[in-house]
Amino acid sequence: MDADSDVALDILITNVVCVFRTRCHLNLRKIALEGANVIYKRDVGKVLMKLRKPRITATIWSSGKVICTGATSEEEAKFGARRLARSLQKLGFQVIFTDFKVVNVLAVCNMPFEIRLPEFTKNNRPHASYEPELHPAVCYRLKTLRATLQIFSTGSITVTGPNVKAVASAVEQIYPFVFESRK
Amino acid sequence: MPGGRVCAACGCAEIEVDAARGDAVCTGCGSVLEDNIIVSEVQFVENSGGGSSAVGQFVSLDGAGKTPTLGGGFHANLGKESRAQTLQNGKRQIHHLGNQLQLNQHCLDTAFNFFKMAVSKHLTRGRKMTHVIAACLYLVCRTEGTPHMLLDLSDLLQVNVYVLGKTFLLLARELCINAPAIDPCLYIPRFAHMLEFGDKNHEVSMTALRLLQRMKRDWMHTGRRPSGLCGAALLVAARMHDFRRTVKEVIRVVKVCESTLRKRLTEFEDTPTSQLTIDEFMKIDLEEECDPPSFTAGQKKLKIQQLEKALSKKLEDFEGEISSYQDEIEIELENSRPRAKGVFANFTKDDSIEDNTSSVAGDEEAEDEELEAAANHLNKNFYNELHDKDRVKKNGDGECENGNETLVRPPALESLLGPLPTAASLGITESIRECISTKDQEPGENTGDGELDLSGIDDSEIDRYILNETEAQIKAELWMKENADYLKEQKEKEARIAKEKELGIYKEHKPKKSAKKREPIQASTAGEAIEKMLEQKKISSKINYNVLRDLNSKGSNTPKKEDDSTDDSTNTKKLSRRKSIASRSIANPVNSLGKRLRPLISTQLAKKAATEEMVFPNAQAEAPDSAKPAAVLVESGPVAYNPDEEVEEEEMEEDDDHCMSALQLMGGNDYGCDMDDDDGY
Repeated sequence: MDADSDVALDILITNVVCVFRTRCHLNLRKIALEGANVIYKRDVGKVLMKLRKPRITATIWSSGKVICTGATSEEEAKFGARRLARSLQKLGFQVIFTDFKVVNVLAVCNMPFEIRLPEFTKNNRPHASYEPELHPAVCYRLKTLRATLQIFSTGSITVTGPNVKAVASAVEQIYPFVFESRK
Repeated sequence: MPGGRVCAACGCAEIEVDAARGDAVCTGCGSVLEDNIIVSEVQFVENSGGGSSAVGQFVSLDGAGKTPTLGGGFHANLGKESRAQTLQNGKRQIHHLGNQLQLNQHCLDTAFNFFKMAVSKHLTRGRKMTHVIAACLYLVCRTEGTPHMLLDLSDLLQVNVYVLGKTFLLLARELCINAPAIDPCLYIPRFAHMLEFGDKNHEVSMTALRLLQRMKRDWMHTGRRPSGLCGAALLVAARMHDFRRTVKEVIRVVKVCESTLRKRLTEFEDTPTSQLTIDEFMKIDLEEECDPPSFTAGQKKLKIQQLEKALSKKLEDFEGEISSYQDEIEIELENSRPRAKGVFANFTKDDSIEDNTSSVAGDEEAEDEELEAAANHLNKNFYNELHDKDRVKKNGDGECENGNETLVRPPALESLLGPLPTAASLGITESIRECISTKDQEPGENTGDGELDLSGIDDSEIDRYILNETEAQIKAELWMKENADYLKEQKEKEARIAKEKELGIYKEHKPKKSAKKREPIQASTAGEAIEKMLEQKKISSKINYNVLRDLNSKGSNTPKKEDDSTDDSTNTKKLSRRKSIASRSIANPVNSLGKRLRPLISTQLAKKAATEEMVFPNAQAEAPDSAKPAAVLVESGPVAYNPDEEVEEEEMEEDDDHCMSALQLMGGNDYGCDMDDDDGY
């Protein structure tokens, strides 16, 4: 096939989601009252804290589990998580920063050509699923990498995966298939 | 059978077996050796109509389990295990829905097969039965290529399309069934029929088909709902054949939004095909293909962005020119200034020391003059004036003014520049400092014990994240005001619970918790174990422990009957609730079905209204009504309907009571599955 081996595609990471634990019970009320940039959702039982420096929104539960979203790279995610833990420490909780894990990475990539979606679906039967009535993109799942790609007819591809490497290799894997069904 | 060979009493071998009466009698001594022999003969019974039917019941091949109750057999859903019930219920619902969609029998059977596969793969767990059924039906529609949309199904069920779509996708994936992609051409005949073109229906459909094919080649159909394209094609086709169909009519049929339809039409307008006349279109087919509209839109965006970039570059160039002019002017000004300063230095110093007020006034004046001068600084006459005033040294005020002016000149620029925002005034010095003092990338992972690695974290900024007391109070008030509704609700709920507790009616609707782990009971016999467990659980004080102790391992009937009397009411309640839930869930899809089934609904509702307590017979009556077409009911004997029901009721109760009380004994509520059997209800 005419697949280029060195593809100069720029993959833009738009979102990195990570979790960590503070190993201590957090008093949400206190955080809500004394934090400057928090939203207290009492009905659900969580606090949303937004940081400016790495643009990060963190969801904090009273059990001490924190989910951090909005970072644009893995390092930034870790940095933001540590800042968050530090601010919780300053509020007076005995925070221990454990179990940091990047859970989800969302990236966007643009192909220089358009893609024929029905043809693509036919050629990649078990992995690709296309429901034009529901969503305009083909949903392609790579089970080995645990990554999902949404392929649009304009050539732009949205990839979600467990980490940045998986996302990159997913794009590499899909390129030849997509190249076949290009317009 | 020892009785078959030799008589036990007299030892003779002449034993007569009467099949009809089911006896085995010794002809020698006359002793009855066997009674009620199980025979395998077919017996017939007379119906009310005069015909005769065979005695017996159908037992499912794969369904093991307890035999149906004697004298029963009316209710197809009784006496079967859960799986069979689920399948039968599913079959019934499939037929209900399928008949509304006018699917033929073959499709319905295929759908039922899909459903069986789904059940065997446990895909019905955690999903509404109706969703799974709808997904199976839609799968059949796709594979057969019938013109049914997912929207139709969601219309019938009043369920969100995307929810159904999710279930459908999951089903297709799990069952490894490749549903072929939807072709919008499939929908044309259906929509055309609905738009009522009369005789010209076929022609209009053909035209619309051609239009659609053209749209496909022009890349308008990828990623779009097929119904939208159909709508646009049909609209144009109708107009071509002189039918006046408004956009609203088409929308009602096709079920897309008006804006979508207009958009499709404009996209089609952009293609070169739209320029052809009607006759040309029917004959010629243009060779070239267009790009998909989203692609062209994307290209437009790119172009606009590029234009903006070019513009901004030009702007920058212009600005650069302007700033270079400004620089030149300022340089000239500065060049003129030092000369004045040198001459007037003494004067200016004296003035400033002696006369502050005048200098202040002078400053004010000077500022005004500054403004003027700033406006006219290109004016060369001004320089000439300065030069002139340099020469004129006699007029003190004039000199002062000049001095002030000229002195103020250098600071003027600075003061002009002064009001420009500095980092300090903006208050972002700290953050700038932070930016500059770059954070080195964190050195590797955390230390083992989870200590927070503070490298690069600036505490001062984090401190700003923490409010002080007054701020915290204000925030608390704000939050209270915003969430007042929720807090009210909580208070009302608590008040309600307190009241109920007082009255003693309080029912705790706790979320289901898993069973607490108790210490294992150590007992030597089963009876002891039961006793100990009962003591632990403190179920009933009415159990006759003495009798329990005399039990053998199988467990007894008598003490349980005592339980029955006390637990009867609660059990019937539970059962009736279960049955009513079941009947309600059956009734719900029925209610949402079309007009045809309204008479059926009304009769059912009437029945329900009539006897509220006797929910049982209702449920049982419904079941046989619907089950009759499904399974052949064989009546067991010439008995009246109602007493049978009562008998069955009791027996059913007993059976279920056995189950219930056994369940209870074993740990009833914690079992959790009482109400939520996998019956598929």
